[in-house]
Amino acid sequence: MFKFKKQMLSVGFICAAFLLSSLSYAADLPVYKLGIDAAFPPWTWAEKGEIKGFDWELFQYIGQVEGFKVEAADIPWSAIIAALSKGKIDILAGGLSYTCKRAEVIDYALPHWKTDYWTLVKSTSKLNCITAMSNGANVGAQAGTTGYRWLKEELKDKGVNINIKGYESVELGIKELEIGRLDALHVDSPTARGFIEAKRDVRYVCKGLHFDYSAYAVTPGDPHKLIEKINAGIKKAYESGKIEELVRKYLPWASVEAVPYPVDYKAFCTESN
Amino acid sequence: MEILRILISELPQFAKGTLVALEVLAGLLIVGLVLGLAIALAEIFGNTLIKFLATTLRKFLWAIPQLVLLFLVFYLPFDLNRMLAAIIALGLCSSAFQSQIFRGAILSIQSGQLEAAKAMGLSKPKIIFYIVIPQMIRLSIGPWTNEFSSELKDTSLAYVVGVVEIMRNAKYIIAYTYGNTAAVYLFVGILYFTLTRIGTSFFYRLEERLWVPGFEKRSG
Repeated sequence: MFKFKKQMLSVGFICAAFLLSSLSYAADLPVYKLGIDAAFPPWTWAEKGEIKGFDWELFQYIGQVEGFKVEAADIPWSAIIAALSKGKIDILAGGLSYTCKRAEVIDYALPHWKTDYWTLVKSTSKLNCITAMSNGANVGAQAGTTGYRWLKEELKDKGVNINIKGYESVELGIKELEIGRLDALHVDSPTARGFIEAKRDVRYVCKGLHFDYSAYAVTPGDPHKLIEKINAGIKKAYESGKIEELVRKYLPWASVEAVPYPVDYKAFCTESN
Repeated sequence: MEILRILISELPQFAKGTLVALEVLAGLLIVGLVLGLAIALAEIFGNTLIKFLATTLRKFLWAIPQLVLLFLVFYLPFDLNRMLAAIIALGLCSSAFQSQIFRGAILSIQSGQLEAAKAMGLSKPKIIFYIVIPQMIRLSIGPWTNEFSSELKDTSLAYVVGVVEIMRNAKYIIAYTYGNTAAVYLFVGILYFTLTRIGTSFFYRLEERLWVPGFEKRSG
């Protein structure tokens, strides 16, 4: 009899726990679709069916402190900005850099990361930072990235003799570099480091010639009033040491800076474009 | 071989991806079958206007690349589930091809049969339902097997709108290992080969079973 009572008690406990957990669900946090490209380490990637990465974890935190939940929607990079501007996803996270052109079709939160660009050459190449990007060199970059634009606007358009080759993915550019069809590849530093650490046949010759800001973006017009929440969440993440923890975990070579950066986009856009 | 270990550890994901690909395949084949059959019947039995509309639609769907249709349907201004978008887009494309399979099969039914049916007083819908379609099904299996295997391979396009099927899983691995492209795609190639072989051998067997002695038959 005693045993039975004990069993009943534990059943009761389980029921109560279920009830409580369903009650806390009933309080219903809003769920937003977080658009990511899950093939983009260290920001967001999928490994053994699990989503990982700096941006993904930071968003878990932001959601926690600002009272919303996110659900990952994995969309390849080529379609992701259009998906956001059409409202198929609510937020875009994952190493998205701020450009004034993109700002015309999507709305940005304050930037939370500064990415510099590296120039890679084949490991056996004798080129240096200057010769890799002059004298008619074939220089590759991922099409549509800030790196590509920099090569065009700051080098080619200003009279430096290079042939720019655009690639849909960095992987293709690395392959062409290894084969020898490219002299140099201009790529953001987290990606460049990834390829170097993976022992691909490349090395860097330039670092930090220019940088861009990465920022999260939301559907145009910010219908869910998310920008303020994201900005506040990033600030809390910095103050609580969460940013530092994530930087140590995912970008161990980087230094921790106070984020979000208080960038005035309007001034930024009139200056640089 | 580090990549072998990684591929083995990702096998459950590939299994899931394969299921997703098969779901897309089943969905698109059904969409293509229903619409394709409608187009074929309209092109053969319809009046001038219906014939014209069906032919125009078929030519239109025939001419648009699947990738274009995928993006087109995905960016339609209402909230379509990504999987559904892929099924509709690829299904529309398939319907143009399937309609031609059915049309060819129907036209190869001897016209004497239809006349005989008419003479016996069967109405047009009855003729279509009892005489045309049963024979059409049997005659279509061969060419339809080709369409099946070609569409199975085309499901690999669905990743562009964010369907996590086989190709997308391959891209994940290439991304987080920063390489191994050839090995991963070789594996994916073998996976598609296996799926195609299993699928087509099933349809060959079905065709064999439905074969009526005395009628023509594909060889081996």
